[in-house]
Amino acid sequence: MEKSILTWLDQAEVNYQDKVAYRDEDQTITFAEAAGISRAVGSCLTEYVKPQEAVAVLTGRSVMTPPCFFGVVRAGCFYAPMDATMPDTRLNQILSVIEAKVMIVDRENLEKAQGLSFSGKMLILEDIIDTPVNEAALTKAVSNMTGKAPLYAIFTSGSTGVPKGVITSHESLMCYIDGLQEVIHMTGEDVLGNQSPLDYIAAIRDIYLPLLTGAETVILPKNEFAQPKLLFETMNRHGVTVICWSTAGIELPARLDGFSESKPEKLRCVVFSGSVISSVCLKEWQENLPDTVFINQYGPTEATGSCTYYTIHDKVTEDTVLPIGVPYKHYQILLLNEENQTPETGEIGEICVTGPALALGYYGAPEITAKSFIQNPLNPNYPETIYRTGDLGKFDEEGILWFLGRKDRQIKHMGHRIELDEIEMTAQKIPGITECSALYQKEKSLLYLFYSGEVKPKEIALYFRANMPAFMVPRKVINMEELPHLPNGKLDRKSLEKQFK
Amino acid sequence: MEELMEILEELRPDVDFEEEKGLIADGILDSFDIMSLVGSIDEEFDIKIKPNDLIPDNFNSAEAIWALIERLMEE
Repeated sequence: MEKSILTWLDQAEVNYQDKVAYRDEDQTITFAEAAGISRAVGSCLTEYVKPQEAVAVLTGRSVMTPPCFFGVVRAGCFYAPMDATMPDTRLNQILSVIEAKVMIVDRENLEKAQGLSFSGKMLILEDIIDTPVNEAALTKAVSNMTGKAPLYAIFTSGSTGVPKGVITSHESLMCYIDGLQEVIHMTGEDVLGNQSPLDYIAAIRDIYLPLLTGAETVILPKNEFAQPKLLFETMNRHGVTVICWSTAGIELPARLDGFSESKPEKLRCVVFSGSVISSVCLKEWQENLPDTVFINQYGPTEATGSCTYYTIHDKVTEDTVLPIGVPYKHYQILLLNEENQTPETGEIGEICVTGPALALGYYGAPEITAKSFIQNPLNPNYPETIYRTGDLGKFDEEGILWFLGRKDRQIKHMGHRIELDEIEMTAQKIPGITECSALYQKEKSLLYLFYSGEVKPKEIALYFRANMPAFMVPRKVINMEELPHLPNGKLDRKSLEKQFK
Repeated sequence: MEELMEILEELRPDVDFEEEKGLIADGILDSFDIMSLVGSIDEEFDIKIKPNDLIPDNFNSAEAIWALIERLMEE
């Protein structure tokens, strides 16, 4: 196994040179250019950071972002990508967890960056991409790097009210990409259509598959996702052959009746993950793209992308329920019941993941890490970490894994993982809220907030808009005289669910 | 138009829909908003907004959205 993604980048530079690696609406960047920019950015960074330190990256949805990440790696560091469309409060939370000494920002987001609580060194991407390469410093920066060195910290909703930074090693990322590649067989002829924001876990496929396979990634315009006709035209123009999207991204064109006007002509493989797909939407895709392969993926950020997959062989019907399949290479799945034992075949248990693709833990949060990354209770003989996903599942007779829901109050909304507790804790910070409860109506993908208190729904909506990412803003805010309670004094969430319109 | 303004106001209380003329062009409405909005409008006015209608020109202002609704109600 190669020890870091730099090996992949160096090989790609030699093998694919002037072939386009990344494309966006405005520009393209070749493998050689991406490698060159990474050396310049890395050389500049070595003046400010030591290996294994965090570098915050606040850049746009642009071809410059992946080479910027690689530049951080050249300096022996790991990147903490931040999405400039998120409110300052959220970005400040991330910065306070990660404590980066350096932030790289592009011109487009400079003003945003200057408004954040950040006292370290701010480097402007456009100004540092021509830094003369300092080979000696770059060599020194990675001389002690191993496969266990951190590659990135990607943030996800935390039930304590503070986002959790999932810190992941080179080895884990490479294991996942290698496992995925074994299933989707990408070549240099393939063109990937990127949907995910580049700071989000789902983008690791679009960023790293090109390095391994020579494929090109097209960063699709964000605003076209609610306009399927434009989106499909763009995909056809660039010859997109493979997409690895969130389930929500797949469902959107189908829900908006996108196939009645056009379709993505060249797609050979569609991979989706993030939540349980609507079989109505999948059926629509299958009927319109009869020769395309569809793959259902499952896995948390803590298991680096996805840990299991299921290639859908049959045409689905409206009431098909899909399994989440079998582990990718480099992953092992085990189930634990409430007694921490392996349940019988067909019996329910918590899905746990082990193997070299696991993340290293949550950055700067040893206690939270210790709760989910635990010693395998089935192995009393030597250290073996497993990750408890909090998801429930069962194995069938053929050894296929099925997903059966969550143990706790985590939900998936439009492809994003959200702790309902975090929504409630945020709402509690608003003066005038006496009590509140966040609930999710799955059928309509609507996030509700029920509350009692003097404050107006409008003010609550505004507070959320100003402080939370768009996907965490409740779209229905409902004021009640008093929230219903059970006899034991706990909130009666079942009765609140009846209030969904 | 009033019903539409109510929907918009509930969806995005932070936006001045009387004044904004570049809801899509200026990136004020995101894809979450468009999804919710299309659902609410379809339900409220008993119409079906088709993918061909999902172009920036139809969603850049409250008037434009209203014009689209009126057109679809006549069809």
